Order: sequence, then C-alpha cells, then structure tokens
Amino acid sequence: MIELKNISISLNDNVILDDVTISIEMGMNTIVLGPSGAGKSSILKIIIGLWVPDSGEVLFEGKNVCKMTTDEILQLRKTVGMVFQGNALFDSLTVAENILYFLPDKKKLSQNELQLKIEELLSFVNLSGTENLYPEELSGGMKKRVAIARALAFNPQVILFDEPTTGLDPINTESVLELNEKLKQNGITSVVVTHILDDAIEVGDNFIIINEGSIIEAGSLEKILRSKNPFVQEFFKRFIEENHNPFIRISKEVNK
Amino acid sequence: MDKNKVSRFTKMIEGLQEFSLLVRDVFVHLGSVKDNWNETVKEMYLIGTKSFFLIFLGGLFTGIILALETGHQLETFGATAWIAKTVSLGMVRELGPVIAGLLLAARTGAKNTSELGAMQLSEQIDALKAFGASPIEKLVIPRTIAALVMFLPLTLIADIVGIFGGMLVSNQTFHSDISVFWNTAITSLKMKDLFVGFLKPIFFGFFIATISCYFGLTTKGGTTGLGKNTINAVVYSSALILVIDFIFTKVVWELL
Repeated sequence: MIELKNISISLNDNVILDDVTISIEMGMNTIVLGPSGAGKSSILKIIIGLWVPDSGEVLFEGKNVCKMTTDEILQLRKTVGMVFQGNALFDSLTVAENILYFLPDKKKLSQNELQLKIEELLSFVNLSGTENLYPEELSGGMKKRVAIARALAFNPQVILFDEPTTGLDPINTESVLELNEKLKQNGITSVVVTHILDDAIEVGDNFIIINEGSIIEAGSLEKILRSKNPFVQEFFKRFIEENHNPFIRISKEVNK
Repeated sequence: MDKNKVSRFTKMIEGLQEFSLLVRDVFVHLGSVKDNWNETVKEMYLIGTKSFFLIFLGGLFTGIILALETGHQLETFGATAWIAKTVSLGMVRELGPVIAGLLLAARTGAKNTSELGAMQLSEQIDALKAFGASPIEKLVIPRTIAALVMFLPLTLIADIVGIFGGMLVSNQTFHSDISVFWNTAITSLKMKDLFVGFLKPIFFGFFIATISCYFGLTTKGGTTGLGKNTINAVVYSSALILVIDFIFTKVVWELL
C-alpha cells in the first residue's frame, strides 16, 4: 500500500498540497481526479520522491520515502515506473534506445536478449516495428505508448500516469486506456492523474477527488456519486445527467 | 533597503549555493564517466571537432590583428622584428586562451544550457530522476569531462593559427623573414608561458561546462526562461573567463 499522511507542500509561497492524506491499494487502478492546477501531479512527484513535502510522511509498503537515503530512493524508483504528461522521451534517441535507456544491468544482457526485450515491450503496447524511429516521427498516441513501454522496461510494481490521455484523439485515448486495463490484468498497480472524467470512470477502481490542494472525497465510484459535497456534485454533474438520460445511456452501451 | 533588491540578493546567494553544490556533485560523481563513456565521446566530438572552424577563424584573425596593430607601432621605432615575440607571447599567454574561451563559452555554453533547459522544460530531467538515474552522471559529467579534454587542444590550435596569422602579416606587410619570425616566436616562449597558457583552458572548460549545465538544469518559466538562462550562461561564463584570466596573469604569474 502507498500512503500519504498529512502531506503539505508549498512552492514560492503557493500552497500546492494542504494536509493531504490518501491510501493507494496495490493491484488496483487509483484515479486522482480534479481540475487543472489542483495539485494532482504533485502527488505523483511526492510518491516517487522527486519532491520532498514540507510536512507529513509518504509510506511505500510501510517504508517512509521521506526518510530514505539516496540509494534507497534510487532502488524505490526502479520499482515504480512513471509516464509523464509530455511523455519526456529523449529526442536524440530512437524508440529502442529510449526504452533501454534506464534498463538496469543492460550491459549484462546480450544483443539478442535486448532485442527480444524491445520486441516484447513494443508488442505489448502495439508498436511492433517502430524501434528505429525517433520520437519526432511518432504521433502523440504512439509517443505515449513508447513512454508506457519505457516505464514497463524494468518490470515495475507500480506505474504512475500523469494525464495519460490529455491531448489525444479518441482512438489513441482508447488504446492508452486499454493498455491501462492490460497492466491491471498483469497485476501492476496504476495511479492515474487526470481531469478527464470519462477516461477516469472507464479505468478507475478507486477515486480521489482533489481541489485547490485538498482532498475533497475518496473511495469507489458509487461512494463518490453519493457525495453531498458541492464540488464533487458539480464535477460529476454531466456524468450523472448522462446516466439518468436513457437515450445517452443506451447510445453509450451500443457504442461499447 | 528595497524589498526587491533584498529578494534579488537572496536569490543570487541561493544560486551561488546551488552552483557550489553542483560543482561538489561533479567531483563526487567524476568516476561515473566510465559508465557514460559513449555520451562523453559524443560531447567531445560536438565541442571539439564541431568547434574547430570557429576556433581556427578566431585564432587566425586575432593573430593577424595583433601583428598589424603592434607592427604599425613598432615600425616607427624600426623594431618590426619584435612582432614575432609580441604575437607569440600574446597568443600563448593571453589572447589564445581568452579568445578560444569566449568563443567556446558562446558556442558550448549556449548549447549546453539550451539542451538541458529544453530537457528540464519537457520533464526529461524529471524522467531521469524518476527512473533512478542521476542527471549529474548522465548529463553534467560527460559535458564537463568533454570540455576539460577538448579545450586544451582547441586553445593550442588557436595559439598556433594565431602565430601563423601574425607571421603572414609580418612577412607580407612588414617584410620580415619567415624563418627569423618562427625562430623568434618559438625562442621567446619560456616554460612558464606555456604552463600558464595551457592551464587556463582547463579552468575555462570546467567553469563553462558547469555554469552552462547549472543554468540548463535550473531553467523554468517556459521558452522565455530558457532564453534568459541561455543568455545568463554565456554572460556569466564570459565574465568568469576574464576574471580567471586576470587572476592567472596577476597572481599565478607573480607566484611562479
């Protein structure tokens, strides 16, 4: 389990997170949902130790990330993959080089073993045959899938997704969401930060609603939909309305 | 005191502290160069081979101008034979290292800051950290080692080409004998001149690389911030080159 307890962090006198306490269960898809600038991405950066909170503690399987030594943090990061909002692929490297860049002990593997690893990862994200292309030659959705393949390269227990479907067309969005589902079937824990309600609902098991640096609500979709909090009701308004409209509901089911 | 001035002064001190920590980290992680040898060789090529023409032109015209200016003054005393000594000592001790340093500060400094700055803005630096890699080891050490290795031969080229340019002017404009010119130019140089002249580029290389990497890694504020930091990297590196040159000329010269 990943736990954030009473986390507060400020940058340049701006409060980013204010007394945030959340729990993320392993093996589940946890969605951190909220409007832009709510502090969602900072939760991911704190989990992975990129940002150190001003107060509070982060427990990763019971170990306090904030008190870890540099070596322990580096070891932790090798069990957690991250897919960045802008993908953060290295422009000067090919798809294959990007995927292998962070692979530990790659010098111990033969050329054939590395090739097999690349083929396996690219096939998982439906991008076989793209190993020699450069990021600039890929579409937005393809870049996202390469970023996912890179995050999967060292078999992480947890993958953190920062706005994985923002800016993607519906077809690419669907393929990224399918990948997310595939990861869950493979026992990988996902933490997805997004502001896109439809995508969140499609893949989420648990939901954490955040606004202006504070947690508004957390729990299953049913619990969230029953919330009396005005912000939650406003955020989910369109979803609730659509689901109470039989024509829209039937149309969605037919499309599925 | 004005609140803005206090804030600017505090930021400057903080910046100096961060830069000192980066320099410390460079020394601590120096051994990692063997793990990033390919990147280091690539940087050597970009700094060295790719800068050759610029250094060649810079050195040649500095030598030509130095010979022309001093030649016209010396001609009035009938002492044009001294052009060789002036150009030789001037190039090896002062102008060769400084001109090469300033040109490389502009070329290499701008390259390093814009590259690392763009990586910082597109979350590639965060990706390195998130996947358990050190930006110091992967990005700063290869650039610093490449600068340390390549600046000396480049300065040597600027020196030789500058003296050659001086010889052309001396021979064509002031009708000096070529063999006499070379003989005077070479015999004028003492071990002390060569030591100071060849020690300077090592310091220049180190500071240009670390300053430009520091500004790259601390880039924020989008493309405007990147432009500002690139300018700062070139300005601070150039200013430091002149300060180091003064220290060498005054202090080291007197101590030796």
